[in-house]
Amino acid sequence: MAVTERDRLAAAARAAGLRLGSGDLDRLLPAYKRYVALVEELSAYLTPEPVGSND
Amino acid sequence: MTDPLATRSMTAVARALRAQTLSPVELVDAYLERIEAGRDLKAFITEPGADARRQARRAADRLAHREAGALLGVPIALKDLFATRGARTTVGSRILRDWVPTRDAAVVTRLRQAGAIIFGKTNLHEFAYGVSTANPWWGVARNPVDRSRSPGGSSGGSAIAVVAGMCAAAVGSDTGGSIRIPAALCGCVGLKPTRGAIPLEGAYPLGWTLDHPGPLTRTVADASLLYQVLSGRPAPGRVRTRGLRVGLLRGSITDRILPGVRARIEAAARELRRAGLQVREVTIPELAWTVATQLVTLRAEASAVHARWIRQRPRAYGTDVRARLQLGALVSGPDYAMAQRARERIREAIGRVFERVDLLLLATTPITAPLIGERRVRWRGAEEPVDGTLVRLTSPFNLTGLPALSIPYGAVGRLPVGVQLVGQWNDEARMLAVGRLIEELRQ
Repeated sequence: MAVTERDRLAAAARAAGLRLGSGDLDRLLPAYKRYVALVEELSAYLTPEPVGSND
Repeated sequence: MTDPLATRSMTAVARALRAQTLSPVELVDAYLERIEAGRDLKAFITEPGADARRQARRAADRLAHREAGALLGVPIALKDLFATRGARTTVGSRILRDWVPTRDAAVVTRLRQAGAIIFGKTNLHEFAYGVSTANPWWGVARNPVDRSRSPGGSSGGSAIAVVAGMCAAAVGSDTGGSIRIPAALCGCVGLKPTRGAIPLEGAYPLGWTLDHPGPLTRTVADASLLYQVLSGRPAPGRVRTRGLRVGLLRGSITDRILPGVRARIEAAARELRRAGLQVREVTIPELAWTVATQLVTLRAEASAVHARWIRQRPRAYGTDVRARLQLGALVSGPDYAMAQRARERIREAIGRVFERVDLLLLATTPITAPLIGERRVRWRGAEEPVDGTLVRLTSPFNLTGLPALSIPYGAVGRLPVGVQLVGQWNDEARMLAVGRLIEELRQ
């Protein structure tokens, strides 16, 4: 079964010790998605693929 | 009608008090009248009470005895996140609504040593974590220029109190623009000094590596005097502004700006050229990474401050701050480390530009005061959250710790526009001198 962004948010919140209900998850999801996208962009800017990597 | 006494500059008030042509009691009464008349603005969480009059009577005695003190008898309002011994300090929250500190914050001690009257505790965004000052517990603050609009934040109450003549000056704090944004939107001067120049001890933290205390005032000279008192640094010597090199910031974070705001910044640049300064355009492409860097850094740091309460008592926070803190709890160590790497790159890029210029010039905010409750700004072909828009031009200088000053420079319609100057590390002197020049050119 495919893991959705909402599932990832719920899992991350549990791991962080937050008590989030279904309504909380729905409310946080758009901002969480924006955050993930921003961090991916930042990561791409700071850590480009190494040239000649075999991995 | 505004009592002209209530809107006199802090330096003029301090001078008149020393000359004993004005009494602190008379001054306090004038401000209290303005507070009463503007109660709907929600500038204060704790209004100055009987103790302010007592402090004024004591100051009158000391003035009569020619005692020293740069601010002797001058009423200064404090953002309600600075601890005041024996006086409630709520940080704009429900959680700390009954907190009565046993010690003064360092800035309060310095104000008292200079003879200032501590004049009430001003409204702020809950825990200073936001830029609207729409406080769910202490009231939605309103812009004194247009009550349907936001004063900005998080030091919104401090800016209102200054502009509406409710105090001689105020002290706020700035983590992503929280002094400069309300100063720009309400029409007063806001100074965020170099990081560390004013001590943070006793200021309730929002982001440990981003927080800066500083003054909100009616004039640049007032900001300069209050900065001296709060930092303990001596008055700067005379600064020659002619020939100074000013970099007018272009590109990246300045691409989306309201045309009326842009026109005011261009006008300020033209006037500075006419006054003999060398104004040239500069670009810093790395600033495009400011939004992500500030977001990750602040979310992680604020969430660390609130780690216990956000897990145990999430409903004790207002909706917007609760969401920010919950999202902050999800920031990973690697994300935070990456943001600090980006922060270093931004700092280096600005440093390279400062090899060619003495100061940067840009708008303080890309827009004028938004309507209360407005959530998004529409640009051609794009939308941007209002809070993200408001911090876009200020937060780079929290990440870098460089001093920055917002000066009112005209209006779009009735709504004030702020021009922002950014100085080199610990170079408040040249920044304030050019700020004073901008203020004169405006008149």
